[in-house]
Amino acid sequence: MISWIFILLTPLIGGVIYGVERVVKARMQNRVGPPILQPFYDMYKLLAKEPVYINSPHIVYAILHMLTLWLAVAMVILGYSLLYVIFIHLVASIFLVLAGFSVRSIYSHIGANRELQTIVAYEPILILIAVGFYMVNGSFDTNMIFQNSSSLDEMFLLFLALLLIIPIKLKKSPFDAAEAHQEIVGGVELEYSGLFFEILYMAKWIEYIFIYSLVFLFAGDNLLIGLFLSILVFFIINLLDNSTARVKIEHLVKIVLSVGILLCLINIIGLKYV
Amino acid sequence: MFDIKKYRKKSPWILHYNAGSCNGCDIEILACLSPKYDLERFGVINTGNPKQSDIFLITGPVTYRSRARIVELYEQIPEPKVVVAVGSCASTGGVFRGMYNVEDGIDRYIPVDVYIPGCAASPELIIDGVVKALEVLEEKGKSNDK
Repeated sequence: MISWIFILLTPLIGGVIYGVERVVKARMQNRVGPPILQPFYDMYKLLAKEPVYINSPHIVYAILHMLTLWLAVAMVILGYSLLYVIFIHLVASIFLVLAGFSVRSIYSHIGANRELQTIVAYEPILILIAVGFYMVNGSFDTNMIFQNSSSLDEMFLLFLALLLIIPIKLKKSPFDAAEAHQEIVGGVELEYSGLFFEILYMAKWIEYIFIYSLVFLFAGDNLLIGLFLSILVFFIINLLDNSTARVKIEHLVKIVLSVGILLCLINIIGLKYV
Repeated sequence: MFDIKKYRKKSPWILHYNAGSCNGCDIEILACLSPKYDLERFGVINTGNPKQSDIFLITGPVTYRSRARIVELYEQIPEPKVVVAVGSCASTGGVFRGMYNVEDGIDRYIPVDVYIPGCAASPELIIDGVVKALEVLEEKGKSNDK
């Protein structure tokens, strides 16, 4: 019952996290920052704007993107196999890429192209993390993972690999080339406006919950460690976002694939033989 | 009852366009978003994307090259929208008034709601102007809904 309520409230909780993040980021830059409920004010404003759209598939892909992401979060919480979760999440990303290619804007195409390249970079690492969970818990089911005790000590390098790909998924520096506001004006989200942009905006909040639920997986049945890890990750990611510049997309792929897969392989070989 | 419309002025997203300005006003606009003045505390985001903006900040005396682009950007902003002319050049043409290659001010092409004087307009004035623009935005929203 509680898990269903949590699933229904996912966008709201994600919105609050996004609001807190904007305040924390502002404080790190010695600014006051917007109110914590700012994402919801944005939402109300976007809902009341004049609805303008390019073509209907563009909108349908955005809705599908949000719904499949929501489904991925629900599957983590309800205890489905981690592999299914990762593939459903991949489907969500593919819908976003299709949305980018369904309009004629060049920036949107570049954004979709870069989105594909980031998928190439982070997807193997997500799957290797799932493999690590399987070797520790004997099952891919998140149900089992949440019942066993924390596996952080055995999977520390895999946790570092997850930390490496979180900035890609949350569109943070140094790995935000897919969105790159100053360069390609948001990439895929470029052509959305008003109510329809709100769908993508909400999908972004759900993405936060998805990422932090992956962090929670490392804590197992211990909620306190999970909360501590999430807050730690939250601060590290925001600090990185504020203190680093954007890397080029080809460097992003190289860095993430080389460092990330190396970390994962060392950890998995260690789990197997040590 | 819970009213969606009153939140409109709490989240103004800005589109900034340089219509041939000397960059003085542009630097001041960026200074507004910096830690010292922190325009983001009103919920302002500098989007750079007309389709997601509410406030159109224009600097510069509108050169012939930028005329068509201003009108196009204005058309792409969904209603309700507010246009703010930042600086003397954008308001009247400033020192460039009457020159062969500029139009004198932005209001020859698109309706302007708030004029911000100054060469260059100071960050305090720009913040005042944006806050004024929020009131206009709210009124426009009301008349749009009728």
